[in-house]
Amino acid sequence: MFRRIGLVAIVAVGATLAIVAAAAARPASPATATVSCSKPVQIGMMAPITGPVSSIGDDQLHWALFAVSQWNANKANKVKLKIVQGDTQLQASLASTVAQSFASNSSLMGVIGPAGSDEVQAAGPILKKAGLAFASGSATRVSLTGGAFGGYFFRDVPNDGVQGPTDANYMTSTLGVKSGDTVMIVDDQESYSTGLADIVGPALTAKGVTVDRESISQKATDFSALIAKITSSVKVVFLPFQVASEAQLFAQQAQVQGKNAAIFGSDGTFDSKNFTAGNYVSFFAPDVTTIAADAATVAAFNKKFPGGTSPFGAPNYVLAQLYGQAATKACTAGKGKISRASMRKAFAKASLSKTILGTPIKFSATGDLSGAKFHIFKIVNGKYQTVQ
Amino acid sequence: MNWNLFLTELVSGVTHGSVYALIALGYSMVYGVLKLLNFAHGDIYMVGSYIGFGLITVFGGAQTLSTSVWVLLPLMFICAMLGGGLLGVLIERFAYRRLRNAPRIAPLITALGVSFFLENAALLVLGAQYQSYNSFSWKGGELWREGLMLPAGVHLAVAQIVVVVGAVVLMVFLTLFVQRTQLGKAMRATSFDREAAAMMGIDVDRVIVATFFIGSALAGAAGVFNGLAYQQVWPYMGFQAGLYAFIAAVVGGIGNLPGAVVGGLVIGLAQSLSIGYISSTFSDAIVFAVLIAVMIVRPSGLLGRAAVQKV
Repeated sequence: MFRRIGLVAIVAVGATLAIVAAAAARPASPATATVSCSKPVQIGMMAPITGPVSSIGDDQLHWALFAVSQWNANKANKVKLKIVQGDTQLQASLASTVAQSFASNSSLMGVIGPAGSDEVQAAGPILKKAGLAFASGSATRVSLTGGAFGGYFFRDVPNDGVQGPTDANYMTSTLGVKSGDTVMIVDDQESYSTGLADIVGPALTAKGVTVDRESISQKATDFSALIAKITSSVKVVFLPFQVASEAQLFAQQAQVQGKNAAIFGSDGTFDSKNFTAGNYVSFFAPDVTTIAADAATVAAFNKKFPGGTSPFGAPNYVLAQLYGQAATKACTAGKGKISRASMRKAFAKASLSKTILGTPIKFSATGDLSGAKFHIFKIVNGKYQTVQ
Repeated sequence: MNWNLFLTELVSGVTHGSVYALIALGYSMVYGVLKLLNFAHGDIYMVGSYIGFGLITVFGGAQTLSTSVWVLLPLMFICAMLGGGLLGVLIERFAYRRLRNAPRIAPLITALGVSFFLENAALLVLGAQYQSYNSFSWKGGELWREGLMLPAGVHLAVAQIVVVVGAVVLMVFLTLFVQRTQLGKAMRATSFDREAAAMMGIDVDRVIVATFFIGSALAGAAGVFNGLAYQQVWPYMGFQAGLYAFIAAVVGGIGNLPGAVVGGLVIGLAQSLSIGYISSTFSDAIVFAVLIAVMIVRPSGLLGRAAVQKV
C-alpha cells in the first residue's frame, strides 16, 4: 500500500517538475519577444483583399507592397521589411481573427490597417494586448484615437471630425446652401455612417440649415420611397454610405424621379467605377495621380501593379515608409534587435517632411495626423475632379 | 395633402410588394404541400437574379446591349424561371425527399443548411462583389425614361410597369393553373391531406416535384424583376428578401396563395408608406409591428383559415 502511494508521489513530483521545466524553457511571449534585424522585419497588412470592397483592399495592399519593394531595393536601408498579408473583407469578425494570428506571430513587429473603423474597434484590443503598433490608412472614426488604443493606434488620414465641418462648409460656401434650405442626410444604419451623419448634421444646423435626417439599411435596394421626400427646398442629399454602389443606386433613382438636389457622398462612396451618378464626394486623401510631383512614383507603381489606383492606396504607401523608418531606429537602439515595444515607440515618433500625399506626415500625441485636411471631388461625366 | 409623395410611395410599395408576393407564393406553395418552411427559397431568388445578370453579360453588358430590350427581357425570365425551377427540384430531390417523414425540425434545419450552401457557393463561384443590372443604361435608359405620367407629376417607368404587370400575369397564371388543371387540383388535394391524396391515386411525389418547380420558377422570375427595378445582385440578397417574403406569407396566411399576394402587397406598402410618412429609421420595425398586429388579431393570417384538429 505504502509502496503504491510512494510510486504515485514520485510520478506526481516528476510531472510537476516537467511542467515547471517546460514553462521555464518556453520562449518569451510574442508581445515581449525580440527578433534579430538581420532578417526582414515583418509588418502585418490587414486589408479587405477579397470581398465586396476588394478593389480598395487590393489597392491598399499594392501600395504597401510597392513601398516595401522600394525600401528594400534601396541599399542605404540596412533593415529590410516584409509584408505579411491578412484578409479582413472589411468585416470586424474577420479582422479579429486576423489580429489573433498576427498577435501570435512573434516575428511580426507592427501592423498596417485595419482598413475600417469597425475593424479597428474589433481588432484593436487584441493588437494592443499583443503590444503591436497598428496604423490605418483609412479608418476615420473620431473615437479611435485618444482613447483606449492611445500609444498603439495611429492613422495618416484625417478623421471624421475634420470631414464633417469640411463637407458642411463646402455645402454652404460653394454649393449655395443657405440658412432655411434643407439638406437631407441619409445614413445606412452602420456605425461609420451614423457617426459621420451625427457630425455633419449639427455642423449644418449651426449654420441655420434645416437637416432632414433619414436612415435606411445598407442592404436596401429601393430608395424610391425616401427619394419621394426630396422636396424643392432640399438642396443637397448627403450620403455617408459605406457601399459606393448603394449611393450610385440612390443617385440613379433620384434622377428617375427628376430630383435636382446635389448628391454628395462621403469617403465610403469614393469609387470612380461604382459611384458616378452623384455630384460630389469628400475623401481623406488626395488623388496622387493628379499631383505633378508624384508622377514618377505613380508611373513606377502602375508598372509594378497595372490596372490603376485609387486614393485609398497611397496612405498605406506612406505608412509602410514610416514603418521602415521606425524599424531602422528601433534596430539601431536595440543594437540589432527589435521588439514590438521598441517599434511602437519609434513609430509614434516617425515623421516624413515630404510625402506622396503632398503634405508632411507627423502623428499627434493621440496618434492622429497633425494638420490633416479632407479633399472634395466633383463628379463630372463620371470622372472625379479635385475641387478642394 | 402631398399627392406626389403619396402616389410615389404607392408605386414604390406596389412594385416592391409584387416582388415579395412572387417569392411568398413559393413559400406558401411548399408549405401548403409539405408543411416545410423552405428557407432556401430566398436563395433560389438570388440564383434567378444572377441568371438574369449572366444573360445581360452574354449580350454585351448593360452599357452596350447587343440585342433589343424586348428580346432580352423574355429570355431573362425564361432562363431564370427554368434555372430556378430546376434548382428547386434538385433541392427537393437531394435535400428534402429523404426527410419527408422525419420530425419537422430535421427538414427545417436542412433548409437552413441548403440556404447557407447556396449563398456560399455563389460567393465562391461568383465573388462577393455587388453586381448591377444597371437597367438605367439599357439602350439609352428607355426602360426608365419612357412610361406613364400619373397624376401629381408622378412618373411610372416602363421597368416598374414590367415588374407589376409581369408579377400580376404570373399570379393569374398560377391561380388558373391551380384551379383549372389536373395537376393543380392534385396539388390542392395533396395540400389538404397528403395521405388521403396518395390513397386516391395521386402521385404525391410528382405533385411535390411540380410544386417545387413552380414555386422556385416564380422565385427565379422575382429575382429578375428585382434586378430590373432595383439593380443590385449579390450572394446574400436572398436572405433579406426571403425574410420579408416569409413575413408576407405569414401575414397573408401561410399555405394560402391569394394570402401570399395580399401579404406581399401589405408588406411592400407598409415599408414604403412608413418611410414616406413615419420614419425611414423605423420602417423595418413597422413592418414587424404589422406582422405582430396581424398575428394578434388573426393568428392564421389575413386570408388563412384556422386549422381544426379533431381529438
